[in-house]
Amino acid sequence: MEQSKVDMFIMSNGKFFEGHQLPAIRDSIASLDDSKWSVLQTMQFKDPTTMLIVSLLGGTLGVDRFMIGDTGLGVGKLLTCGGFGIWAIIDWFMIQDATRQKNMALLQQVMY
Amino acid sequence: MPSHRNNIYLLLSVACMAGYIWLYFAYAATPDTSGPFAEVCIIKHATNIPCPSCGATRSALALLHGDFLDSLYWNPIGILLLIILLATPAWVLYDLCAKKITLQKFYFKTESFLQQKSVAIPAIILLVGNWFWNIYKGL
Repeated sequence: MEQSKVDMFIMSNGKFFEGHQLPAIRDSIASLDDSKWSVLQTMQFKDPTTMLIVSLLGGTLGVDRFMIGDTGLGVGKLLTCGGFGIWAIIDWFMIQDATRQKNMALLQQVMY
Repeated sequence: MPSHRNNIYLLLSVACMAGYIWLYFAYAATPDTSGPFAEVCIIKHATNIPCPSCGATRSALALLHGDFLDSLYWNPIGILLLIILLATPAWVLYDLCAKKITLQKFYFKTESFLQQKSVAIPAIILLVGNWFWNIYKGL
């Protein structure tokens, strides 16, 4: 794929991934076929900042975990009132990284 | 995915351990289950409205005392949690000994089962109903 397209993808979607993953993403997109460009462009990623807000407001009910697709953990948080409130607080700090990892998994699904 | 496997097993073990420690102190502290053992719920503290799982400790304690109806009254979620709490350590130990990943497979199967709309919507309705019941009971 052309370098300009790769740069465009990184510029518009870089914030959805962890910094140390970006070089690898750049390389693997550059080696992709041009037919995948339309799929890549229309992909919807979860915004880590939005997830942090959701976690702050609804973390005790596990809403944040449900939204990024961790249904099992979401049920766990919901049934235990946010893990006695402790897990909910831990997740305020964990949810952004978890979201970025989920985004990476989604991207890998499309690429391979 | 060895790291993924370890994550789930470690998480479940830690969660179960925390649950047992919590239940031990609650059991030791309360001879009867008329009032809450300790209020840790953020929602309850912030809004004075009970959350969907408020009363689960009292429910589990009532069941441990052998009072099934009382435990159903406090919160049906407590019964579910107690079953999970009893089953998980045995399952983790079995998987560790037999070097299998049956629990992990079950976990992911349950996850995709719960994500179906036909399952998720009734579950949400049940949960919201339980929540209103909690508010009505004034836990």
